[in-house]
Amino acid sequence: MRPLLTRAWRETVTDMWLAGPATLAMLVLIFIPVGIVAILSVTDYQFGARSFRWVGVDNYVTLFTDPIGRRALVNTLIYVAVVIPFSMGLALAVALGLHRLAAWWPWLSSLLRAAYFLPVAATLVAMAIAWQMLLHPNIGLVNSTLAAIGLPGRDWLSDRGLVLYTLAAIGIWQTVGYNMVLFLAGLSAIPQHLYDAAAVDGADRGWDRFWTVTWPMLGPTTLFVAVITATNAFQVFETVATLTRGGPAFASDTLVYALYREGFVYFKAGYASAITMVFFVVVVVLTLLQFRVLERRVHYR
Amino acid sequence: MRTLLLTAAIALAATGAHAQTEIRVHYAIPTIWADTQEALAEAFMAANPDIEVVFDGPAESYAEGVQRLLRESVAGTLPDVAYLGLNRWRILEARGLTQPLDPFIGDASAFAAAGFTPALRSLGQYRGQQHALATSASSLVMYVNPELVERAGGSMEDFPTTFDGVIELAARIDALGDTVDGIWVDRHDWRFQSLLGSHGGRPMTPDESDIAFDDEAGIAAATLYRRFADEAGMKSYIDDQARQAFPAGTLGIMLESSSLLTRFTQAAGDRFDVTVKPLPVAAEDPGAVYFPTGGSAIVMLTDDPDKQQAVWEYVQFVTGPEGAQIVVENTGYAPTNALVLEDEAYLGAFYADNPNALVAHTQVARYAGPWYAYPGAEGVAVTDLIAAALVEVTEGADPEATIGDLADTLRSRLGMN
Repeated sequence: MRPLLTRAWRETVTDMWLAGPATLAMLVLIFIPVGIVAILSVTDYQFGARSFRWVGVDNYVTLFTDPIGRRALVNTLIYVAVVIPFSMGLALAVALGLHRLAAWWPWLSSLLRAAYFLPVAATLVAMAIAWQMLLHPNIGLVNSTLAAIGLPGRDWLSDRGLVLYTLAAIGIWQTVGYNMVLFLAGLSAIPQHLYDAAAVDGADRGWDRFWTVTWPMLGPTTLFVAVITATNAFQVFETVATLTRGGPAFASDTLVYALYREGFVYFKAGYASAITMVFFVVVVVLTLLQFRVLERRVHYR
Repeated sequence: MRTLLLTAAIALAATGAHAQTEIRVHYAIPTIWADTQEALAEAFMAANPDIEVVFDGPAESYAEGVQRLLRESVAGTLPDVAYLGLNRWRILEARGLTQPLDPFIGDASAFAAAGFTPALRSLGQYRGQQHALATSASSLVMYVNPELVERAGGSMEDFPTTFDGVIELAARIDALGDTVDGIWVDRHDWRFQSLLGSHGGRPMTPDESDIAFDDEAGIAAATLYRRFADEAGMKSYIDDQARQAFPAGTLGIMLESSSLLTRFTQAAGDRFDVTVKPLPVAAEDPGAVYFPTGGSAIVMLTDDPDKQQAVWEYVQFVTGPEGAQIVVENTGYAPTNALVLEDEAYLGAFYADNPNALVAHTQVARYAGPWYAYPGAEGVAVTDLIAAALVEVTEGADPEATIGDLADTLRSRLGMN
C-alpha cells in the first residue's frame, strides 16, 4: 500500500510533534510576556491603573541618569566584579585541595565537599536570617569574636560604605560550593597520561604541573564557571531583600531589587518593565556567551 | 411534566433568594490576624445568620496584600471587602476600587455617637469622602529598659517627658559600655511624621498641594535624629537589628510602633520588664500635636448592591465596640472605636492586666491623626527618599539644608511645582 504522505512530509510532521509543544510553550510563556514587558517599558503604566500614557524612552533615560537608577546599576556591577574573581578563585583552590585529598583520605574529602556544598543546597532566605544574627553590631558572633581578639567591630549591614561588600561576601560564600563541584568535575576529567607526559618533560612539581596541564585543561570549565557565576551574581536579590532592603539610603540597591521595588512596592510597572528589559538583555548576552563556551568545550582534545 | 419542572425551578429560585449572602473577605499578616479574624467572623455570623463570611487565603504582609488586590482587580476577581494597612488604602482609592461609605453612614452625628469620632474617621477620609474605617491602631511610643535606666542613674518614676531629657538620659545609658546603646529610632517616613507631629508640624498642606515639613517643626524633627546620633550615640541599625537588640537588653530606649508591644514583651521574657512611655510632646500648643496612626483599615470593594448591604453590616460589626474588643484582646493594637474606651465594661479588665497597653492606647486616643500618604504615582517612592535623607542627617548632614533639599526634591517628584 502506498503511504498517504511522502517520507519527507511524514518526517516534517514528526518534527512538529516533537518540537512543537515546547516551542509553543516557550512562545506563550517567554516571548509573548517579554513582548508585553517591552511595550510596557515605553509607558508610564501604574500597576492596577485603568489607563496609561506613552512616554517613549523616558524610563530608560531615567534608569541611566537618575542617581538612584544609576546607583542600582553601579552597585550591581561592583557586586559582580567582587563576586566573580573571589568565588572562582576560592572554588578552584578548594577543588584542587579536595581533589588531592581524595587520593589519600577519601572520606574526609567527601565530608568537606558536602560541607562546602551545603550553602548551595540551603534556602538562601533562611541562611540570610542566620547571617543577620551573626553580623549584628552588638550581639552578633562576628563582632564579639573581633572584640575578643582586640579588633574593633563594624556595622556590617548598616555602614553605607561596607554593606555592598558584606553582601558580596555572603554571595561568595553561597556560590563557592557550586563552583567547586564544577571544578572538581573538570579536574577528574583530566586524563592521568597528560601528567605522566608532563613529568617526562620535566614538569613534575606542583606549580609546573598546574600551569602546564591542569590550568589549560580546566580552561573550558573555567569559562563556563565564569559565565554561570556572572549570571547568578547579576540576579542577586534574596540577600538584599531579606537583609537590607536596598538600604541604608540605597547603598545596597541592585538591579533586580530595584526592579522589585519599583514594580511591586512603588507600583510603577512601566519603569520596572524598563529595568526588566535591561536585565533581560544582560541575561541574553550571558546566555549566548554560555552557548559559545559549551560549543567549544572540546578545543584541547 | 413541564409544569412540574417549572415549579421545581421556581421553588429552587425562591430558596436561593432566602439563602445566605456570601461575602469574601481579604486580610493580611496571618501571624497576627488569623485567630482574630476567625473570632470576628464567628461572632458576626452568630449575630447575622443570613450572612456568611468566607476568607481568601491571607496575604503575608500588607504590601503583598495590596499587590494581590491590584492583580485581582485586573482579573475581575476582587473580594467584597478587604483589610489594608492604614497607609495603603489610598492606593486602591486612587484606582477607583474602593466604594465610598458615606451613603451607608448617613447621619454623621448618630455615627459619632456610635463611637466613630471625627478623629477616628479622619484616618479613612480623603477629600471629604469616607473610603475606609480604621480597624486597629498604633502609634509611635517609647519602649524603655528599666534596668539600664536604673544603672545609668535615671528613674522610671521620674522619667523625662521632654526630648532634651530623653536625650540626656540616653547619653548616660550609652556611656554604660561598648555593647550598650542609649536610643534608637528608625529612619523612616512614619517615624519622621510622628516626630514632626510632636512638634506640631504636618507633612503637607491640608489640600495636599504643597510640602509643609520644611518649616521649624520639620527642621526640629530632623535635628532630633542628628542629636540622637551625636549626643546619645545612636547606631545606624536596620530595623530588624534594633528589634533584636532591645529584647536582648542592650538598648535603653527605643522609639517604635506600639503594635510591637506583645512581641517585645515575649522576646524580653524574664530579662527585664519592658515598659512603655508616651512619646514626648514638643509643641507649645498641644492642640497642634498629633501622631500619625499605623494599623489597619477596612474597605468595601464590591459594587453589587445586595453584597454591599451585607458588607456594610460586617464593617459596622468589626469596627463597632464588640469587634474592637475582639481586636484589642487578640492583637494588642489600640481600639478604633471610642465607646470601648469610654465604657470600662469592654476593656477595663484587659487594661488592668496590661498597663503598657493602656499607656499606648491612651496616646492613640488622645493624638490620633492620619498617616499622610503622598499623592500620585511617586507617592510611595518618595517615602524612601525621606528615609535616605534621614540617613544623611544621622551621618552628619545639616538638618536644615537636608530638609530644604528634600522638600524641593519631593515637590518636583510629586509634580507640585
